[in-house]
Amino acid sequence: MSWIREGELNLLEKISANILMAGPMPKHVAFIMDGNRRFARKKKLERHDGHMQGFNKLAETLRWCKHLNIPEVTVYAFSIENFKRSKEEVDGLLDLARQKFERLLEEQENLEKHGVCIRVLGDLNMLPLDLQEVIAKAVVMTKNHNKCFLNVCFAYTSRYEITNAVREMAWGVEQGLIKASDVSEALLSECLYSSNSPNPDLLIRTSGEVRLSDFLLWQTSHSCLVFQSVLWPEYSFWNLCEAIVQYQLNHKSIQKARELHREEQALQQLEADCACIAEHLQHQGNGKPADAQRRQEALQHYTVAREERVQDFLQALKHKRDTFFTNLCSETVLT
Amino acid sequence: MALLYGLIWRLLLALVRIKRATVSWLRVRLRTWKGSFWQRTMAALLLPVPVSEFKQNKAGANQSSDGDDDGKGAGSRRSRWISDGISLEKLPVHIGLVVAEEELSYTDIANIVVWCMAVGVSYVSVYDHHGIFQKNNSSLQEEIVRQQHNLLGGDDSTFNMELLKNGSDKPQHFVVSCRPIVKVLSPEDGKHSIVQAARKLCHSVEKKEWSSKDISVSVLDILLRGLTLRSYAPVL
Repeated sequence: MSWIREGELNLLEKISANILMAGPMPKHVAFIMDGNRRFARKKKLERHDGHMQGFNKLAETLRWCKHLNIPEVTVYAFSIENFKRSKEEVDGLLDLARQKFERLLEEQENLEKHGVCIRVLGDLNMLPLDLQEVIAKAVVMTKNHNKCFLNVCFAYTSRYEITNAVREMAWGVEQGLIKASDVSEALLSECLYSSNSPNPDLLIRTSGEVRLSDFLLWQTSHSCLVFQSVLWPEYSFWNLCEAIVQYQLNHKSIQKARELHREEQALQQLEADCACIAEHLQHQGNGKPADAQRRQEALQHYTVAREERVQDFLQALKHKRDTFFTNLCSETVLT
Repeated sequence: MALLYGLIWRLLLALVRIKRATVSWLRVRLRTWKGSFWQRTMAALLLPVPVSEFKQNKAGANQSSDGDDDGKGAGSRRSRWISDGISLEKLPVHIGLVVAEEELSYTDIANIVVWCMAVGVSYVSVYDHHGIFQKNNSSLQEEIVRQQHNLLGGDDSTFNMELLKNGSDKPQHFVVSCRPIVKVLSPEDGKHSIVQAARKLCHSVEKKEWSSKDISVSVLDILLRGLTLRSYAPVL
């Protein structure tokens, strides 16, 4: 079945959508699509069929999000922890992924028409090479689309993502692109797999489990978390509306918390820069305390230099990541 | 048309807020209602998740509400809480409290901490968004000690727990002395501590003591738990 569902909302759905869109809407929604196996047990199906139904529900949810003007969706498709499941189930899931990504490649025109950009986030090195190649093709094919964005977390856990970001910053230090003192919360965020997306406004977990399961822990520190008891394959438009209403009820307090956090971050960065300047001037100076004007000038220069270093590093990182995908694509051309 | 939708949206949110306020008002009233059948019915209607009953206290419970044992003393309270903890299928090892209230109540938080410890939870962490508990750490610790005396009696911070094995021929007594650990956290212990750990690692890389390839989830984990880098050398 296709990734893209055509079709409009029915009248009642359209009216409800218009009512909701009168208020603040989330620009980025993340889903933990939990409940496929329980659904299969409930309907006396095979586990594999449960996962298939789960994928179909994903396609439908994307259609609803498009009609609700939600441009970005992130989904938790496969956790690194899932590798611990039985070989049969893991192989089944990887096969399903292979099928779906291959299907995606056939829908190139449709994806272009709707402007869908697909990104896959995770430690893709853990996947079999052929799956990596199919994923790379899908990502490269839709790279320049910019109407809506689907981020699929595959072979992903938040701790691996954060560790990888720290490793990338250490690589930047090794290459002489940045200094260790340039490390900050903002820089770490830019090194995450999800650096091309804003943080999710709303995180929805289905099937009634109330836990985060190592998903987007860094990015959802100031997001609205909604836990719904419906199983993922049974998710409906009204469940989505309910979650959006929760977001709208908490919108103001979340915005306030985000603003406070931004101010604190800016203050911390300023303090860090001042500390670096103080150290630098101490080394340069001859025991006399530097005057305020000299300190101010030094601070400005330092900040500009730091920002330039950081930009160069981020460009190099982006190039490294793009090369990873294009190399995988060219390998399939050669074979 | 947009104006109409806007009005309906405002009405919808107002209705949801009224429903929430009514539900929390009813929940408060519910506590004063005696009669377990009525309590269970209202709980089923109003609570979003089912509350599991303690199997041991189901039949022949002599103390069904807190109001009854006001005069019975700390000792019976403690043994009741300990047996409640034992009768649970699973007990969390570590409970985290995220306190989002506008006005912080040290007594209420101290009570929750003492109950957690009495039931057998080994670690309790308390967090608030402005770091107020951390700034007034000593006041909170004093309040916890005070509530320990009020609710549990006994000496300062060690609890003796007697665990009776159910269903065996001879009851076996395991006396466990557990000293629960309470941590008070603030936003600095969140992302900020990860950034500090990252900076430490990058400094080591700058000094050529470590390579970026040495950085793994377990290395970062150890660093965050407070051990120094030098005591964990990379395997070359």
